[in-house]
Amino acid sequence: MNRILLACSAGMSTSLLVTKMKEAANEKGVDCEIWAVAQDKAPKDMEEADVLLIGPQMKFMKKKFEKTAQEVGIPVDVIDPMSYGRVDGKAVLEKALELMER
Amino acid sequence: MSRFMDVLENILMPIADKLNNNRYLTSLRDGFMIALPLIIFGSIFVVIANLPFLDKLIGAEAYAEYQSALGAASAGTLSIMATFVIVGIGYKLTEYYKGEAVYGGVTALAAFLILTPQIVGDVTGVIAAENLGAKGMFLGIFTAFASAELYRFFTEKNWTIKMPQGVPEAVSRSFSALIPITFTLTIFLIIRIIFSYTTFGDVQNFIYTVVQAPLTSLGSGLPATIVAVLLIQIFWFFGLHGQIIVNSVMDPIWYSLATENLAAFKAGEAVPHIVNKQFIESFIVGMGGSGMTLAVILGIFLIGRSRQMKDIGKLGAPAGIFNVNEPIIFGLPIIMNPLVLIPWLVAPVVVAIITYLVMASGLVPPPTGVIVPWTTPTILNGAIATNSWQGGVLQAFNIGVVFLIWWPFLKIMDNQYYESEKNDNGESNDKSA
Repeated sequence: MNRILLACSAGMSTSLLVTKMKEAANEKGVDCEIWAVAQDKAPKDMEEADVLLIGPQMKFMKKKFEKTAQEVGIPVDVIDPMSYGRVDGKAVLEKALELMER
Repeated sequence: MSRFMDVLENILMPIADKLNNNRYLTSLRDGFMIALPLIIFGSIFVVIANLPFLDKLIGAEAYAEYQSALGAASAGTLSIMATFVIVGIGYKLTEYYKGEAVYGGVTALAAFLILTPQIVGDVTGVIAAENLGAKGMFLGIFTAFASAELYRFFTEKNWTIKMPQGVPEAVSRSFSALIPITFTLTIFLIIRIIFSYTTFGDVQNFIYTVVQAPLTSLGSGLPATIVAVLLIQIFWFFGLHGQIIVNSVMDPIWYSLATENLAAFKAGEAVPHIVNKQFIESFIVGMGGSGMTLAVILGIFLIGRSRQMKDIGKLGAPAGIFNVNEPIIFGLPIIMNPLVLIPWLVAPVVVAIITYLVMASGLVPPPTGVIVPWTTPTILNGAIATNSWQGGVLQAFNIGVVFLIWWPFLKIMDNQYYESEKNDNGESNDKSA
């Protein structure tokens, strides 16, 4: 089971992406749990995730999240703006899986 | 141009980073977020209690009864919103210091109540609700910061009572909090006593006259509003969440203004402030998201010929109706796109000015101070915020204005995409899908 956590300001725009990523995961046949939260909830939810992806508009929070991520031992990255704008679930899913493999 | 942008981004990123990682601003923002569901609950009932034309339908007497029956909902939440913000800030800041967050929250509230006048007229033992709402907002914020800091200080000094083993954890925890809380609140009691000997009489009066009133009157003016709106737009242009950055500074002001409006509205008086939380939220952000991109989506549907534009329009429209516009901002794209910089910066400022003037002239009533969830669709959003259909009409008119400002730029962009799609034929169409 791959547990992917997305975070943005209110968890709204990332939740659009969650739907698309779930579709992509189904197509690929990868077992995934994907969910989106508002940024203030992210540190808590990171304990249950394998990777954290941040909306590009919140990239200034990366440093803050990285601290917690190190404690929990998961990778963190910012979602590519173009994939984000196109709500490209497949590209973001692949990025998430790649991050987890490292 | 691109070097210039790099330089600007190198300036803005650290600002965003600093503002967002500042523990006081973060706990302030998260504190407001804790209060938000309660504020929205209260707002819903203010809207229901003040439905237009209802008094004519059921008669004045029944209407008064109906209003007073529902009144407790907003009196218990919206009118005393400072208390929730204080608990939220105390909680969040103490949590940041890895202390007992709940105690941090309630200690902040107690500290605030100690500083608050506990007399109304000649009646002792009562606290005026206004002191727990708009009027107490700034004192509440400062008190919560100070109380959380003091609580941490005394906890870290480790002057705590240690319980022998075998005592239930809950019991020992409440004892371990006893000394830090006692010391913290004693300091606030001393401050209260000191202030009772000054001409201000109490701390609340002091903060209100010296800090809050000047700041809020500045914040309710058009110039400060334009600066705030421009800053939001500039941050977004570099792909940074403008509101979350600017609001962390402006929210206390905008919320105080909204709460003052609400008190006047419920009392049946004219609302005092045009600019307040809902002016920004409904009439600037609430028209498709930051930058009022609902008009951009409409423009795409009206004039878009290129595949790329049409695709992004289809992607952006469903979310745009609920004022989520990241697909448009990152997909069109708006970020780092010099072509749209002009409409992106100009349109919100023009709309802010129009809205301000129209409301100042009395054509459309200013927002009543009820907090409308920012995901409420345009037109409905403006109507609820102002408790009048004119608010919805003004939003529709503003969308038209934004569209006109964007129109030439959208046209150029669309032509560029269209030509390049025609040139490299089917290949690029697949990519843009």
